[in-house]
This record gives sequence, C-alpha cells and structure tokens, in this order.
Amino acid sequence: MQKESPIREPLILGNKSYHDITVDVAKPVLAKANKMWWIVFGISLVLFVWWILSVGYTIGTGIGVWGLNKTVGWAWDITNFVWWVGIGHAGTLISAVLLLFRQKWRLSINRSAEAMTIFAVVQAAMFPLIHMGRPWLGYFVFPIPNNFGSLWVNFNSPLLWDVFAISTYFSVSFVFWYVGLIPDFAMIRDKVNEKYWPLRKKIYSILSFGWSGKAKDWQRFEEVSLVLAGLATPLVFSVHSIVSFDFATSVIPGWHTTIFPPYFVAGAVFSGFAMVQTLLLVMRKVVGLEAYITIKHVEYMNIVIMLTGNLVGIAYLTELFMAWYSGVEFEQYAFLNRATGPYWWAYWSMMTCNVISPQLMWFKKLRTNIVFTFILALFVNVGMWFERFVIIVTSLHRDYLPSSWTMFSPTFVDIGIFVGSIGFFFVLFLLYSRTFPVIAQAELKTIVKSSSEQYKK
Amino acid sequence: MTKQKKYWKGLAELANDPAIENLKHNEFVEKIPVDDFLGDGETLSNTSTSRRDFLKFLGFSTAAATLAACETPVIKSIPYVIKPEEITPGVANWYASTFYDGNDFANVLVKTREGRPIFIKPNDLSSAAPNARVISSVLSLYDSNRLKGVMKNGESVSWSDADTDIKDRLSSIDGDVVVLTNTIISPTTKSLLNAFSKKYAAKHVQYDAISHQGMLDANKDSFGQRVLPSYHLDKADVLVSFGADFLGNWLNSSFEKQYIANRNPKSGKMSRHFQIETNMSLSGSNADVRIPVKPSEKLNLIENLYNALKGNAPANDKIKDIVSELSAAKGKSLVICDSNDKAVQIMVNAINDMLGNYGKTIDLTQPSLLRAGDDNAVAQLVQDMNDGKVGALIISGVNPSYTLANAEAFNEGLKKVSLTISTALSMDETSTNVEYVCPDRHYLESWGDAKATLNQVAFTQPTIQPLFDSRQFQESLMTWSGDDSDYYTYLKNYWRSKVSWSSSLHDGLVELSSDSLSVSSFSANVNSISSQANGLELALYQSNSIGDGSQSNNPWLQELPDPITRACWDNYLTISATTARENGLTNWNISDGALNGDMVRLTVGDRVIENVPVLIQPGQAIGTLGLALGYGRTAAGKVGNGVGVNAYSLAIDNNYTLSDVKIEKVEGEHGFASVQLHHTMMGRDLIKETTLAEYIADPKAGNPDLLFDTHKGKLFADEVSLWKEFDHETGHFWNLSIDLTSCIGCNACVVACHSENNVPVVGKEEVRKSRDMHWLRIDRYFSSDMTEEVAEEQGLGAVSKYKAMEVPSENPDVAFQPVMCQHCNHAPCETVCPVAATSHSAEGQNHMAYNRCVGTRYCANNCPYKVRRFNWFDYAENDAFDYNMNDDLGKMVLNPDVTVRVRGVMEKCSMCIQMIQKTKLDAKRDGRKVLDKDAQTACSIACPTNALVFGDVNDESSEVRTLKSDERKYFLLEAINTAPSVFYQTKIRNRKA
Repeated sequence: MQKESPIREPLILGNKSYHDITVDVAKPVLAKANKMWWIVFGISLVLFVWWILSVGYTIGTGIGVWGLNKTVGWAWDITNFVWWVGIGHAGTLISAVLLLFRQKWRLSINRSAEAMTIFAVVQAAMFPLIHMGRPWLGYFVFPIPNNFGSLWVNFNSPLLWDVFAISTYFSVSFVFWYVGLIPDFAMIRDKVNEKYWPLRKKIYSILSFGWSGKAKDWQRFEEVSLVLAGLATPLVFSVHSIVSFDFATSVIPGWHTTIFPPYFVAGAVFSGFAMVQTLLLVMRKVVGLEAYITIKHVEYMNIVIMLTGNLVGIAYLTELFMAWYSGVEFEQYAFLNRATGPYWWAYWSMMTCNVISPQLMWFKKLRTNIVFTFILALFVNVGMWFERFVIIVTSLHRDYLPSSWTMFSPTFVDIGIFVGSIGFFFVLFLLYSRTFPVIAQAELKTIVKSSSEQYKK
Repeated sequence: MTKQKKYWKGLAELANDPAIENLKHNEFVEKIPVDDFLGDGETLSNTSTSRRDFLKFLGFSTAAATLAACETPVIKSIPYVIKPEEITPGVANWYASTFYDGNDFANVLVKTREGRPIFIKPNDLSSAAPNARVISSVLSLYDSNRLKGVMKNGESVSWSDADTDIKDRLSSIDGDVVVLTNTIISPTTKSLLNAFSKKYAAKHVQYDAISHQGMLDANKDSFGQRVLPSYHLDKADVLVSFGADFLGNWLNSSFEKQYIANRNPKSGKMSRHFQIETNMSLSGSNADVRIPVKPSEKLNLIENLYNALKGNAPANDKIKDIVSELSAAKGKSLVICDSNDKAVQIMVNAINDMLGNYGKTIDLTQPSLLRAGDDNAVAQLVQDMNDGKVGALIISGVNPSYTLANAEAFNEGLKKVSLTISTALSMDETSTNVEYVCPDRHYLESWGDAKATLNQVAFTQPTIQPLFDSRQFQESLMTWSGDDSDYYTYLKNYWRSKVSWSSSLHDGLVELSSDSLSVSSFSANVNSISSQANGLELALYQSNSIGDGSQSNNPWLQELPDPITRACWDNYLTISATTARENGLTNWNISDGALNGDMVRLTVGDRVIENVPVLIQPGQAIGTLGLALGYGRTAAGKVGNGVGVNAYSLAIDNNYTLSDVKIEKVEGEHGFASVQLHHTMMGRDLIKETTLAEYIADPKAGNPDLLFDTHKGKLFADEVSLWKEFDHETGHFWNLSIDLTSCIGCNACVVACHSENNVPVVGKEEVRKSRDMHWLRIDRYFSSDMTEEVAEEQGLGAVSKYKAMEVPSENPDVAFQPVMCQHCNHAPCETVCPVAATSHSAEGQNHMAYNRCVGTRYCANNCPYKVRRFNWFDYAENDAFDYNMNDDLGKMVLNPDVTVRVRGVMEKCSMCIQMIQKTKLDAKRDGRKVLDKDAQTACSIACPTNALVFGDVNDESSEVRTLKSDERKYFLLEAINTAPSVFYQTKIRNRKA
C-alpha cells in the first residue's frame, strides 16, 4: 500500500469498489457488441480488404503500380513504416518508462496503449516487407546460415539494423503486454460462465496460464514486469534511433543529419501519444470507461504531447540552422526546397500540425477539453505523417544532380495500402477491445485505496 | 521335303565334342550355390545383416531411386548436328559490314553470337562511324513487323508466281517503266539498274527523303559537277555554320571525329566554332559562339558576310567577329550552310572560294557521293504518274507516300500506274498503296557494296541467314532482267578483278586506285538572297534519334531521348520562352513531375496540322519554331505508328524553312516523355569549365583542388576520409575517363549501352513517370542568367535566387555530361544494401548481384548520381511492354552474356563487366598482359570522338592512367568523397573572355 498526497487529483472517479472495476472491465468482453462497434468494424474491415487487394496487386504486378520513380525510390511505403513505428512507441513508453518512474496514472491507459503498440508495429513491419521488389525473398535479410556460398547479410546496412530493432521491439513489447494480461485474463476466465460459454472458458483458461492469484504468482508477476520494463525501456529509445539511421547514415541532403535519433524518438513519442489519445478518447466513451480514463489522464498525455511537440519543433529549427551553418549548398538547398519548393504545402502542414498547434496546450482550459484534445490528436497524427513524407520525399526528389530531379505522386494503390493499413489496425484494435480486458484492472486495483476519488475525499 | 540346312556354332559342335553336348543342357557352367546359401537354415540364420547395413542399403536404394526419379530439366535447345567451322557457342564472331539506307552511312563491325547479330560497333579502319541509328539498326533486323514473303494486293503469293507475272507485265507494259530509289552508291546495283533499264527501257529516279538539291545544283553551277563536297573540319581553324547541324544529321557524314580532332586543348589550339541557327541543334550546343536567328535573318547574314568579306559593306554587329576571324584564317576556315536553296549555297560557295577554302578544307575532287537525289525528276515522275504516262513503278529504299510533301498526289498517281512494286521490308505507307511488295533484305542479311567516295569501296556482307522469305532488291532486279544467277556471284565477279576480294571483305572496305573528280574553278552568278519574312518562321529538322523516320519502328530509337530537349517518343514544336509567352503557350509539370504542354493548330500555307504539342526550348530563336521530321508515321509498325506528327507534309518543294506560319492554341494538353525535367545546374559545380586561354595559362583553370577545412588546416578529401580503402594497387583497377570537351552529346554511347546490356524499353507512359531504364544517360544542362555573382550583385535572397536559377537563359550555354554508375570506391549504395547484393570488386567496380537483390531500393535512394534503375515491372515476358523483349523475334537481339533482369531488382551500369571478363580471359589464354586497346566498354567503343576512355590505371602504358593524372581531371560531386572510378575532364570552350 502506498501513500499519495491528498492534493493530487484522483485517478479513479466515482465510488468504485474492486468488484465495480472487475465488472466494468469485463463488460465489453462479456456483453454483446453495440451497433456502433459493428459499424466501425465494418468500415475497418472494408479498408482491410482494400489493403489486401492493394498488397496483392503490388506483389502480383510489381512495385511499378506505386507512384515511385528512378529518383524517388521510397515515398508512402517508408513514410507509413516510420509513421506506424512511431505510433508504436507510446505503449511501451507508458508501461515501461512510466512504470520505472512509478507514474500511477499509466495504469488506466497502459493496456490499450500497449495493444496499440503491438498493432502499430504489425502495420509497420508489413511495409519493409511489401516495399521490397521481391518480397518472397524477404528472408534474405535474416542472417540465416545458408548454402548460397559465403552469402551473408550486410551488417553495415541500417535496414538490417531495422530488422533486428523492429523484431526485438515487437517481441519484447508483446511479452511485456502479455505478462500484464495474465491476471486480467484470469479474471475474465473466472467471470465466464462455463455452462453458456464453454469454449470461451477454455480459451481464457489457456490464455491465463493457470493464474491462481497466489501471493507467489503476484510476486513473480511483479518481478517479471519490472525486469521486462527494464528491458523495454532502452528499446523505446533504440528502435526509433535505428529507424532514423536509415536516413541519418545516408549521404542524401536532408537525410544525412546527426540529430535524427533524438529527434525521431521525440517525434515517435509525440505521435504515439497522439494516437493513444485518439483511440482512448473514443474508447472511454464507447466502452464507458470515463471513471478510469479521466480528464486528468488526458491532461497528462497532453502535457507529454506538448513537450515532445516542442522537442520536435526544436529539431526542425536545428535542422534549418545546421543547413545554413554548414555552408554546404546541397544542404541549404534541400531545406530551402522543403519550405519553398514544390512540396511547400507538405512542409507547412507538418509545421502547423506539429509545432504550432501543440502550443495551444499551454492553456489549461484547452488541454482539459476532450473535443479539443481529440481534434489536436488528429492534427498531430496528420502532422507526423507529413513529417516523414517531407523527410523522405522532399529530400529525394531534388538531391544532388538537377538532371534527376522529379516529383512523386501516389497512385490508388499507394493510397489503398496506407488507408488499408489503418483499416487493418482498427480491425485488430476493435477485435482486441471486444476480447481483451482493455484496462489493466488487476494493477489498477492497487491504487484504488490511494488514488481513487472515494479514498481522497 | 527339302533338305534341312544344318548350322553349327563352332568347330567343336561339328566335331560332336561331348563337352558341347554337356553344355547344351547346362545353362550355367558352374553350379550356383543356391542350396548352400538358402538350403541350410542354420547358415542362413548365422549370416547377419546388421541394422547398420540395412540402413545403408535402404539409404542407398532410396537415394538411387530418388535420383533416378529426378528428371533433368529439359532445355529446348538443339545442338548443331554438324558444328559450323566458324561458330563456337559462347564465342562471338565479328564481321565487317557497311550501312547505308539513303540517309546514314557507316562502316561497321557486326558482332554475332551463335549466328545472330547482336551488336554493332565502328570499324576502326574507317572514319565513317556509326551513329545512334546505325547502332540501333541491329534491332530493326528483328522487327516483327517485317514482311514474311511477297505480297500482292495484301495477299501472300509465291516468289515464282510474282516473278512470272511481273516479268510478263513488264515486257508488255504501256508507258514508262520507272525505278524509284534512294541515292544509289553501290556500283553493282548501278550496273544492274543499267541492265534492267536496257531491257525494259526503264528510267531510274533517285530520291532523297531529305533533299540536298540546293547544294547539289549549286555545285553544278559553281564547279560543273553535281556532287556534294567532302569537308575537312580538322583543318578548319574557324568554322562558321549557318544552320548546318553537322554534328547531328547534316549530310550524315561522320564529322564528329574531324571536328574534335581540331579541338584538343592539350595541343594549345582549338578551332573557333560559330553557329548561326534557328533551332537549338547539337552543333549549336557545342559551338563556341551561338547566334540564334530567324531563318530569314540567317540569309541576310550570309549575304552580309559575303559583302563584308568582299569589302562591299560593313559587317553586321552580330557577325563582326566572324568576319574578322574568317578574314584572318583564309584557307583554314570553313563556312557551311544547311539551306536547300541553290542561290544560298552558291553564295556560300562564293564565300568559301573567297576565303580560299577549296582544296584546303573543302574537297570537291573527292566528293561525297551519299546524296544524288533529283527533286525535279521526282516531281516530274509524280506528274507523269498522274498523267498516266507511267506503266510500271518499282520503288526501293524510299517511302515517298510518307516522305513526300505532296504524298497525296503521289498516291493518286500510283493508282494510275498499272504495275506498282515496292521492295520495302515491311508494309510501310508506300507498300500499302502498291500492288506487289517484294520484300528486300535487311542489310545484315544482304550482300552489297558502297562507294561513298571515289577512292574507297566498302562491302556489306550477310551476318545471319535471311529470317524471312525475302530477296535482295538487286537479285529481284536480276530476276526481272532475266538473269538467273545470284547477286553474290555477280558482286564477287564484279569486284574480284578490281580488289582483293577476301581481304576487302574481311576489312569491310578497301582503297581504290586514286580516282578523282575534275572540277572547274568557281564560276557562278552570285545573286542576292536577302529576304524578308513575315510572321513566325518554322525550321524543320531531323531529330537525333529518328532521323528521316525510316527506323521509326525501332523501340531503342523511340526511347532514345533527344540530346537537347531530352524528350523521347515524340516530336513537338520547339519554341522560345518569349514567343511562347506571346502566344499564351506554356509547359508545366504535373504532380508526378511529368512535363505537359499546350497544343496548337499549325498552319503553313494551305497545310494544317492539328494538335501539335509545343515544347519551350531555350536557345530557339525568338519568333521561330522547330519541328522534327521523321515522326507521325501511320504504317511503321506497332512501335512507330502514331508517334508525333508528320512534318514532311509541310516541306513543300523541299523547303525546310517556312515563313508566315500560324499557330493557334487548341483545347487539351499534351504529355511529353522527358527524361530530364530540370535544365540548369542550380549554381552547382557539376560541369567544370573554362576557356581555352585560361586553360593555356593554367591547366588547372576551372578545376581547383577541393580542400576541406580541418583543425589541421586545409586537407584533401582522401586525407579526411573515414573510409578504409580497398587495395587498388595490385591487379587491375578499371577506370573510365570522360572528356567533356570532346563529348558532343551524340547519344551513340547511350544506344550502344542499351544494345550491349539488354536494357529494357519501357514506353512513353513509363518514361513520363520518370522510370526510363537507361544505364547511361547524357545529362544536358543549360546555363541560367542567374548566378551566385548576379544574385550577390542584385542582393537577392536565397529563395528568389534559386527560383531564378531554375530558369535557363534565352540563348544558353549548353553542356553535356554522360553519367553512368560512377563505380565509387566509397560507394554509398554498398553500405546500405541489407543483403549485400551490391558490393565492391577488387578491380574498382561496383557489382550488382541481381539474384541476391530483394529490391529495397535503398541503394538507389542513397546514390548521389541517381544512376540506379529499378525494375518496376517485369519488362521481359510482359505483354504490357510490347517491345523487342516480349517478342520472339525481338528477343534474338539480346546479348547472351548479360542477364535479362527480372522484376523487383535494381540494375545499373556494370562497366561492361562481361567485356572486361572476356578481355582478361583472352589475355590469360594467350599468356599475355591485357592490352590497353582491348579494354573497352560498349560506350567507349561507340564514342566517335574518343571522349570516353576506358582502361586499367594500374597499367603504366594505359591512356586512362595518363588521363587520371591530367590537370583537367575531376570527380563528379567530389565533396561527398565517393571516390569514383569514373572521372571527368573539364570542358573547355574556345571563347574570348
């Protein structure tokens, strides 16, 4: 039992007892889905089908069905990849870093944030695969002992580092998430009436790994969580640093920038929190979790968004300064071209969404307003997508030799794969929200007696 | 009963040896101990097959059964039953041959592999080097639109039926028998034509698609001989060209070598080249001084030059320098002009005569025989045809229904001719209007001779079995003349007595005992040519790739970008920015970068062409338009049909400059396929250049050392490098030097690379998407009025400076830069490939392992030179790309030494590794070192000016080694420290400061 200052605002509203929490969390899983869920799921499914068709068409016909060309070899594919990886940063940050920092407010949101991470990384991981000219040979990127002679992967290549970074991050995040889920699965297992739902009972029994709630179970649970948090924390920083190396280690003006690793990590946390906001603001309404995901939670996340948004803004300005200060004409032109060239609209969309709009969060009134927060979160999502687009496309489309300068325009397949990946993501997330305990209720119960409204009175 | 014959198996049986009787009953001589083995149960149980043995047997038998079950892949190739003596599979055979199609002439060597011609390169014994079209002609051989046999009114007939019918009708025909051909330079063909004419009282009319009547007639008037002179550009210190694009298509006489011979800055002397022209031509872009003028003004300037040289009038300001420099270089100068007007050419002759150039830089005693067409005779023929005077017309080597301005009249006339025969290779515009098409053979299937000058004869020899049921025109002539022998025998007999047949055929050409033309001294009335033209003026030209349009169906040529506009798969009106603005015409880039433009209705006199796209061309004279001939074919075949508009219809009376031209903007927009969308260097140091005077004063002029500021002071790139160097001291280290002074941008290397390396053709739509596949491209940059200095002077900010830099000058300087994979020794692509599909060789090349490539395109993104090309689609075996690779016939041109890349892999220049390998293996087999002259790449072979020099810098005697230490040497984008194996030599213009 821990003590908390009474002046801190409560993290659980209403007079929630342990039982109430159990019932609230188990409800979406045990009750029937409402109409809203079906509508959103239906739309997501349609988009997912579009994704399947677009990916199938790409693999069947060739990357030529995208809008890429001899000068711009990556565009929406890698933009989407980095965007999704970035989104996938919030979950682990919330559950691991905030765990280490003993931030109790994480408990209401960490489960869904982690789920979002897993699903976002799934989306992200698709892109490096499907963007390959020959995805059926994708296994070449793994250092598998082979009989092709002395062939081995190229450990100098940041793309190879990506392979390791993403797969490690995915594995650790997944295990961390799953470990946290065990006591909650056990709760659902115990709530399911075997008479009516024998299969469910069985599935949740298997999923909960025979959790019995013994003190020893809890002790091991706590220890594993802590160890995994320790493992996951560096990964939060390493993954996006490594993703940024894809660009930073190259020679292309606009890519070749030493500030990329911290800049990308800040951007990732920024976009990740925005996505968490986007999802949770809807979910708390739909699933009725207002008591657990309070305005205070929203405000905390908004503060993180504002902070990381400003970090990103400083990075943008630093880039501009360094381009000027370097005295290298290619660098100078690359950044000038971003802001004033044919893709100026992308650059200024990015600037508006990522740097200017988060400044509104300085106002307490705004950062505690749900509707405003939701709109701003969408802005940040859009802005961060544009950030990656700006970095990738505007740097490539006009690099060293003007003779090769050209432009990029997406095809319906590019759009299909991007929008479809959002559909795919929501399909996974919506299925999750109906089958998984969306709040880490077992852990949340640990703060009922310190941080809930009823005990703070 | 007949007596049974008794057979015995041996003497022993005959002798009734009892042993034999015994054997008969005993099949096995020795008893097989079956009982010993199986009968005794005890022994049997004592012998044991251990589990180990059992497994061994099992393993062996399973493996044996499995192996036996595996079918070896069936490869449907049929081996030679009897191997031809000269063909060794895998080893190329080279044959000397000669190309002449009435337009281009070249002495070539043809590479054949297993009986298929696949590559064409210059014959070093000759100066007539193949241009892009001649190099591409090997693909035209495998054109699937070629006729497979004789056609009569669109129906297939046999040769014998056709011959019988033709012979019968020829001998009983009413009216003239006329043979219409291109300029014939073959002595044997001429004598066969004579024989034919004798038999049927036939007339022979020679017709050049692009007329040179004016020049021929001018020389007739001036010197008494209707010939074209040969020129010695190498002896001309001052070269003044009034519109003659001699580096492009003017006279098609391989002037590049001569031109460059006198432009070697090392010698401390370069010719001064003035170009006064309307369209931006290849020659104009290489000129030291280029003066854009309207065609009418050009004539006035010629007259002014004439008068000024005579001292009759002061020189016009524009040509003041020209007059003074020409006067100072008498006998060492040359004035040429592209006009097809006799009076103009007479005046040019007079100018050259005044300058004493005849016999020095112009040679009439050894004329060029490549053009002898007579436009008047052609006009008369059309008239006669329409008057019903012509009974039979045999058309060979020309396509008048397409190239004649009055094609309708010709086609009408054809209907009135009772027997019409074409010998075209395919159903072209003319063939579709004639009765008989008796397909000729492609020159690579033919015998032939060619006398381009009086003192030399060149031979054409077949390099492949005829692909179709075709017959050479010459043999048709013989058959119709009643001569049943074959042309080969005729040719051989004709030349045998005059030259050494075998060695001439081996060399491809032979010098003849000096035969020269006697000409009178200049005597002609020089009449005033000054002119006043109204409205817009139009200058028709031949494009660098398509030329006169005879090879329109060749996908390599269609996709070969114009060196100046960098657009392919099109012709268009070139227009200056000012004139475009005045007429409300624009070009713009759409969202994927592709270039679009307005279209106009073009009216010249009573001729109207609808929907002609307009391309804004820096350097185009204000108030003028340019339009390429050779496009707008309707019956070229699947590739060439409907590409562009036909400009021949405008060339009334073979006038290629037209005035009072009207353009009217029409609805709609046109999409150009341009491989270069941005035209200036944006103030970057990509092409380093200087003037001759500065170069002589300081060989490092324009090419200062690149130094980096460090805490240790200024250091060279290799001293601040983080790279671990490869060892390039031992073994070979292949390097390529590209001299930007001698590179004239002619595109021969681009096509040679295309041909050697099985580069796919992707078509207009894909080029528009910036997905051209050329491994080697020639970047063309225009200068801009905005420079760093100007910006500083005007106090412009960076944004407005760069915006202004994007706009080329109205009359820009032009520079060409061939760019292929630079084979960086610190290659950015190599470090980023996750699967190490691209890696470095010990010999300085950057390799690409296609079958390892997974297609992440990271290498292409990280390539600062953007030379890597990705296979967006399956270009081979894909009906969506109906070009040569997806055609059983077209595939025959593929080089078996180079992989055809599959979709999803990255490809790029390999420095012709297959050729290097061959060179090394030959040297190894012969037990010698690799000779410098043997080390070649396709581009370096094709380069007519030796601008591309390839070799081993570790070879002390190599040319490339000298070039690498030249003061002019620089690396492209040296500041990135990529340490390329390709380097450039600064461009030097002979320009007054």
